[in-house]
Amino acid sequence: MKVREAMIRDVSAMFEDETIEDFIVLCLRQNRSGLPVVDEEFKVVGFLSESDVIKSALPSYFSLLQSASFIPDTHQFVIRLGKIKDDHVSQHMVKPPVLIKPDDTVIYAADLLIKNGLKVMPVVDEYGKLMGIVNRIHLIHAATQGKIDR
Amino acid sequence: MNVLTVTLNPALDREIVVENFKINEFHRVKNPSYSVMDPGGKGINVSVILSGLGVRNIAMGFLGGYIGKVVEERMRLMSDLITTAFIHVEEETRENIAIVDPVGETITEINSSGPIVKPDDLRMFVRRFDVALSRVRHVVISGSIPRGVDNEICRSLCKKVSNSGKVSFVEGIGPAFEMAVEAGVVTVARPDLRSRKLLFGETMVDLKDYVKAAKRMLERGARLAILSYAVEGDVIATNDGVWLFKTKSHIDRSHLLGTGDAFMSGVVNSMIENEKDYFLAAKRGMAAAVAEAEYISKERISLEDIDEHMDSFDIRELE
Repeated sequence: MKVREAMIRDVSAMFEDETIEDFIVLCLRQNRSGLPVVDEEFKVVGFLSESDVIKSALPSYFSLLQSASFIPDTHQFVIRLGKIKDDHVSQHMVKPPVLIKPDDTVIYAADLLIKNGLKVMPVVDEYGKLMGIVNRIHLIHAATQGKIDR
Repeated sequence: MNVLTVTLNPALDREIVVENFKINEFHRVKNPSYSVMDPGGKGINVSVILSGLGVRNIAMGFLGGYIGKVVEERMRLMSDLITTAFIHVEEETRENIAIVDPVGETITEINSSGPIVKPDDLRMFVRRFDVALSRVRHVVISGSIPRGVDNEICRSLCKKVSNSGKVSFVEGIGPAFEMAVEAGVVTVARPDLRSRKLLFGETMVDLKDYVKAAKRMLERGARLAILSYAVEGDVIATNDGVWLFKTKSHIDRSHLLGTGDAFMSGVVNSMIENEKDYFLAAKRGMAAAVAEAEYISKERISLEDIDEHMDSFDIRELE
């Protein structure tokens, strides 16, 4: 089974100079956990997820801690979030993004999602322009339908 | 990608078939298939019909809330040829309710007004429209203008299309449609005359009123003007002449749902192949509309349906 058979043909995306606040609003309204970031030619230049925003708003030593309870003042998170909300998404996005092509297999897509700990991945054409997305639940659904090995 | 459709005020179309529908009476829907939900709004309808004709397209506009998500999801499920790129707004997308009575030959339509679009939503949409425009050749802008958006939007978008040397197809009514046509930035103009027969400040009554309005659109720069005339006719005008297309068989009013959008889809599909042959485009549009009228609901017609109906209407030269 090819990615083109399992992808969602939606090209909702953000531009590099749009803000973290814009990102939060778009994700909330579309029930999305992340969005591709594109340039003016619609080439995917990055990907921003809610996890990236959380990481940016947490102190840098957070990743070393076993539990959020070790943070002395959780209010710091809210303060930091307030500080980055007007930042451009390009300052916090993952780049280069993990991308997949429509003619790749869904097995390869699943491999990339798992290895990179992603929920969503942009699908691009031969020029790197956004065509849609694949997400975990659609791949899991394809697997349960026995379509993955086709 | 060949075509971009813009639906600024989409809807969830709910169509209920009730025989002998009467106001102020209790009715029961006899069959589950007589109560259906479909993505709606004129541009979205064109996207869906084009997908049935094998045309890959991208659909843009504004959606909102739970109903907006239903519209988007249903569009995706309908065809792999449709790519969505909607801006999601805060308020809920509207519902259009149509009660079709095949016995009484009536359609009763109730359209709600839809969400307010805020300046930030519009800014995001326009930026994405500019990028999407670079990926297509034909742009369909169809339907009403949402609350919060200036009527000038239609002219502004068409101007972008025109400036980039591409082809615009516009269907609408009122100041937004008229401003775009008057600015000379519309290639194919089709006023939506369902709610009122008023264009450029004049009520159209006789055939000559329709001809006059069609010629005015051409004088402003449109290459093809299409005006629905009575139930079974259309006034067609190009720089080569003016014609009346009239169906050979009677069409019930209850079968008119979706015929206007089928007409526009037939025109777009024809102009993808023969961009300058406006008369052929009008004929294929009319054939698409007649084919659509065979169905009581909105159905996706095929290219074969259009081919089969190319002789289902008479053509009379008016000027």
